[in-house]
Amino acid sequence: MLVRAEHLQAGYAPGQPVVRGVEFAVAAGQAVAVLAPNGGGKTTLFRTLLGELPPLGGTFAVDGTIAAVHQHDHARLDFPVSALDVALMGAYGRTPWWRRIAGADRAAARAALDRVGLVDREGTHFGSLSGGQRRRVMIARAIVQDARILLLDEPFAGVDRASEERILTVLEDLAAEGRTLLIATHDVEQSRRWDRVLCLNGRQIAFGTPEETLTAPTLAATYGPELVVLREGRMGLTIQHHEH
Amino acid sequence: MTIRDRALLEVVLLGAACGPLSVWLLANRQAYAAESLAHAMLPGLAIAAAAGAPLLLGGSAGVVVAALLIALAARDQRIGSETAIAVTVTGLFGLGALLAIDAETPLGDLLFGDLLGVSDGDLIAAAALAIVVPLTLAAVHRPLTVAAFAPALASRPARTQAALLALLAAAIVVAVQGLGNLLVLALLVAPGIAGRRAPRLPQQLVLAALIAAASGAAGVLASDRLGTAAGASVALVLVAAAGAGLRREPRRNVRRSPIEALSDRA
Amino acid sequence: MAWLTDPLELEFMQRALLEVGLLAVPAGLLGTWVVLRRLAFFTHAAGSATFPGLVVAGPWGIPAQVAAFGAGLLYAGGLSGLTRRARLAPDAATGLLLVAALASGTILASDVYETGGGVDRLLFGTLLGLDDGDLALSGAVALLALAATAAIGRTWLAAGFDPGAARPLGVSALAGDAALLLVLGLAVVAVLPAVGALLVGTLLVLPAATARLVARTITELQLVAILLALVEGSGGLLLAYHLDLPPGPAIAVLGAGAFAVAGAARR
Repeated sequence: MLVRAEHLQAGYAPGQPVVRGVEFAVAAGQAVAVLAPNGGGKTTLFRTLLGELPPLGGTFAVDGTIAAVHQHDHARLDFPVSALDVALMGAYGRTPWWRRIAGADRAAARAALDRVGLVDREGTHFGSLSGGQRRRVMIARAIVQDARILLLDEPFAGVDRASEERILTVLEDLAAEGRTLLIATHDVEQSRRWDRVLCLNGRQIAFGTPEETLTAPTLAATYGPELVVLREGRMGLTIQHHEH
Repeated sequence: MTIRDRALLEVVLLGAACGPLSVWLLANRQAYAAESLAHAMLPGLAIAAAAGAPLLLGGSAGVVVAALLIALAARDQRIGSETAIAVTVTGLFGLGALLAIDAETPLGDLLFGDLLGVSDGDLIAAAALAIVVPLTLAAVHRPLTVAAFAPALASRPARTQAALLALLAAAIVVAVQGLGNLLVLALLVAPGIAGRRAPRLPQQLVLAALIAAASGAAGVLASDRLGTAAGASVALVLVAAAGAGLRREPRRNVRRSPIEALSDRA
Repeated sequence: MAWLTDPLELEFMQRALLEVGLLAVPAGLLGTWVVLRRLAFFTHAAGSATFPGLVVAGPWGIPAQVAAFGAGLLYAGGLSGLTRRARLAPDAATGLLLVAALASGTILASDVYETGGGVDRLLFGTLLGLDDGDLALSGAVALLALAATAAIGRTWLAAGFDPGAARPLGVSALAGDAALLLVLGLAVVAVLPAVGALLVGTLLVLPAATARLVARTITELQLVAILLALVEGSGGLLLAYHLDLPPGPAIAVLGAGAFAVAGAARR
């Protein structure tokens, strides 16, 4: 199991968990859709798994390098760096300070940009790229890191259609390579294509296969008033506007 | 009135005006603007000093020019407003120092003030400030509160900010005579911090005014007793009062780099 | 050309030019990060904060650089305490410490130690008073800036560009940033004799800010900044010599002028 959590509680201040009772185990090559309403705890969970926040209770184990692609671009778009420069940052962690970045890493960064369909933009100033393109560069960076586990926080939000298709293909390929993906998403229908689904809303509502979890009661408990039931029993969500 | 009494009157008036202003400056995160404007107006003072003209006049012109250039710089997309303002301020301050080298008024007085040399004109200006600033703040109290605590709801944010900055400019021009353009920041930042002890905003405004006036008076009296520079003594007492107004808050959980903490808009 | 060659024959001018030449290296390399990581106000305040240290150095019998660095450490510690424990906004905290340092420095200078006219030199720099210790420190800081950039420049880039991603990338932003602040602090102390406590930004901010307007990559930024620091620094020294002014303000005016020209040209 590459990622495992037991009775995990996550939050920012001791005694005030944002999400609790998190309990799941994910194997290599599995992709997990993480469904949660805004404020439901998925970002907090991700930050805890990344080691940014100490857990408030319970335990978790991550067996391998872990990379993140965040929902909101907190990167400095005004920095004079190109797409290639950013992708190359994935190699920084494995290059000790007394060594220069290896030619092999540079080639890996190019290859990663190629995978996400941006190799012809490798010299473009990062801040000039579109939101979807920047998201793809960040995925390339995670690929260069050669991380076993990838956390993607709403990788499709605010992304143009072309980028969305590309990203989906890349994610499926990454899972096929044996990497573990945790994909936070609001797209219930898209979740059906992944191996597992984790539902959160202040606490873990469910974890299991899409068939087991994507049921009306589970989704109602997860999304509450945000849920809309369409015809033929398919579910949809109203996306609330939120500020971060 | 003795020299010391005039200095006392000056600082008490300045304290009454700048105390509540300081609360609003901090609430609207304008400490950097205050520092920048105070430093950047030096050329105005220097030219007035070199020409033998009244400092109030030179200071006003200096502040207006500084404000315009800083506003221009703040728009910069390429470098970011903080750096652009820093460049503008450094350039203007350097220019002011150059111009003041051979002036009649020694550079030290421009930088650190001449509280014991307060003229009648300065006292009148301070009295006017002590009336105009609190009245204006009272008049725009509601928009200022909204701008500081619920900025998304502000209806005319630019006008409110402009009003605050205009008051800031006026306060700097008047206070610069006594404290100098380097130390005037004490009046604009310390009382607001000291005022935090009071639970609610209206009480903070009053407390800040009282502490500023009292600190000013204490500073003048101390300088008289100990023979230290008056303006600097006032500034130190103000800073000490701010220090006394601080409280220990619980630590946040997030581990963060010190440089990121500096960029935080708390 | 006499205006150029005459001063160059004087020993103190040669020293001053050497000093500026050495300082151009940290000015460019570290100034890059001051500009990119929004440390301009912090740096300026750090410079001003050294003033009380400089004032007491002579009377207490400590080397000026040590006293200045000590005062700088007090400033950094105070800033950390005020922002983290007292939860004061960083700009308010910086302003408070800045004015506290200047006020205490003034009282120490005028009333305790009666430094008198020497204060101008501490605040605005000097052409004449540069000694071997100053040159040695500038040389050391130049080497340190080069070494640090080679070793952890990548860390500074990654941490500055995407602070939230630094840890998962395996980049220790905390350690790297602490190192940056330390090296920056040493650079502040090194530039003090030439430009004075009130104008450290003339070397550590202005050249890099101007370079930022024209450079397209980080390396370009650093090289152009070093070049500008060299040109503005030496130009400022010549100006100061001919007009009998302290060097700090002269360099400031040249630096701001260059920035304005570059800014206008970019439009």
